[in-house]
Amino acid sequence: MKLNNYNQRLLNIEQRTKRFLLGALGAMLLALLLIAIKQDYLVRSTAIYFFAPNAQGLNQGMAVKFIGFKVGSVKEVSMQPNATVRVKVSLDDEYVHLIGLDAKARLIKEALVGESVVEIIPGSQQVQQVTQNSVLQFERGQDASSIAESMAAQLQPILNDIRQITASINNPNGEIQQTLKNLNQVTGDLRETVKQFTQLGVSGNQKLDSVHGKLDKALDSVNANLEVMDKAIPRLVDKADATLDNVQTATTDIKRMTADTAGELPAFIHNSNALVQDSQDMLEGAKQSWPFSGWFRKPEAQVLPVDGYVPPEKP
Amino acid sequence: MMDRLRLSSAIVLSGLLFLTACGQTAPLRNARLELAAEYSQSAQRAYDRGDYHVALRQYEMALQVDVAVENIAGIAIDMLNLARVNQMLGRWEVANAYLDKLLQDSALEYGTPYLATAATQKSLLLLQQGDVKGARLWLEKASAWCVAECSLASVIDNARAAIALREKDSDQALHWAERAASASRGDSPLEYANALRYMSEAQLMRAEFATASRLADEALVVDKSLGLPEKIKQDLLLLAAAYVGLGDTEQAKRYRERASRIVAR
Repeated sequence: MKLNNYNQRLLNIEQRTKRFLLGALGAMLLALLLIAIKQDYLVRSTAIYFFAPNAQGLNQGMAVKFIGFKVGSVKEVSMQPNATVRVKVSLDDEYVHLIGLDAKARLIKEALVGESVVEIIPGSQQVQQVTQNSVLQFERGQDASSIAESMAAQLQPILNDIRQITASINNPNGEIQQTLKNLNQVTGDLRETVKQFTQLGVSGNQKLDSVHGKLDKALDSVNANLEVMDKAIPRLVDKADATLDNVQTATTDIKRMTADTAGELPAFIHNSNALVQDSQDMLEGAKQSWPFSGWFRKPEAQVLPVDGYVPPEKP
Repeated sequence: MMDRLRLSSAIVLSGLLFLTACGQTAPLRNARLELAAEYSQSAQRAYDRGDYHVALRQYEMALQVDVAVENIAGIAIDMLNLARVNQMLGRWEVANAYLDKLLQDSALEYGTPYLATAATQKSLLLLQQGDVKGARLWLEKASAWCVAECSLASVIDNARAAIALREKDSDQALHWAERAASASRGDSPLEYANALRYMSEAQLMRAEFATASRLADEALVVDKSLGLPEKIKQDLLLLAAAYVGLGDTEQAKRYRERASRIVAR
């Protein structure tokens, strides 16, 4: 009887052990399957390459996107003997037919300050599609710091010109100041002339000859001053032209940069605002809930204490 | 088994009730009332640090908001505070105008605590201007309004002591000041120090210089703890007067010198 029981228990143990081992094997296979899925071993892919001058912002595993969809990932970033960086990209075969050999790989940030991704810029569709080991051209997209640097570089000459023009305006011996002085002198001469002309009108035509002489002199002075202005103005116009050219170039660049980031900036600002607003709302909510409500002093209007002391009258 | 189940249910239920109670949020005020309260609180902070011009602007803004939403209690508080700040700035007429506006308003019905406060302030203002009769009249009105939940009892007693001192009645002054001191001790250090000062002045009037000196000394300690320059100066001058009465002119001179160095800001 006892032997039978013992045998039965052994059989039970054996069955349990088998089940346990089968379970463990199943779990291991499942884990391997998940790893394979994660590593894209089950996805058929095509390896292509591009070369970058440096590895800044390029990392193994980063997403590769095509018109906003993930189509692969960076598999390897390695330094070449000629000090360039070779980047191996694995593209899902499903999308390879969409990417021409003249497509470009561009390193961009998803938002202005978001995660970096490699964006495939489509080439012309007539060209042959990429195949295994094809090489794409590489370029870097602009990020916030490069935009700021570019803007600063563009604005610098404008500021220099403005500074130069301001200095020229303020310089008492400068052309503008001299022109203004001459204009003042002309105005003064003309005023004097008009005055004398009026006096002549009152006293008759006796001193007409003399007036003619003075008028001639005044007109000569006007002519002289206008000559000075004639010389000064073209130089000013040239400077203004150069400045305006710079301004125009900078404006074009800024417009282009603005257009590039137009889609991202409003969303970025909107998201930031929403984030700040959400944080404020959460803080307000938390401040009004226990136990935080007791920690914050709620603003209450209070009557200032009445001071019952009146100083004695001074003798 | 059943007992354990009941106990567990009771614990879970209590926990839920506790969490529900904890989750209760404070009743919300509308945004304008919040704004008015913020202005008022900011003004009070400015007042506490002696920045009366800033306090004046902030209280004026609080009044504008409170008037816009007809927050009657807020309007009363703002006008009382504006009167107080103007009084501190020496603009007695403006202070008086705010108090009159509050006391003579026939359209809005302010609570009696606000009317009592306004009447007391007006009485003290009139006394400061030398109108003892007017001060007494408004103090009676304040006393009549100061019935329930009124924290002005010691202030009114001190004002009575001040009136008695103006009338050279040291007995009455001592009586009211002692009453104010016992009412405010441990409750309002400001009024306690005021009462001590009045008592000291009354004792000086009675030529009880040692007692006057002791009282002024105690008032000085309280005023220093409150950080009130004008009061500290008054305490030092009282001490100087007491020491003159005691015949210690050197000590009196030192107190006067100390008083002269106090500059209110």
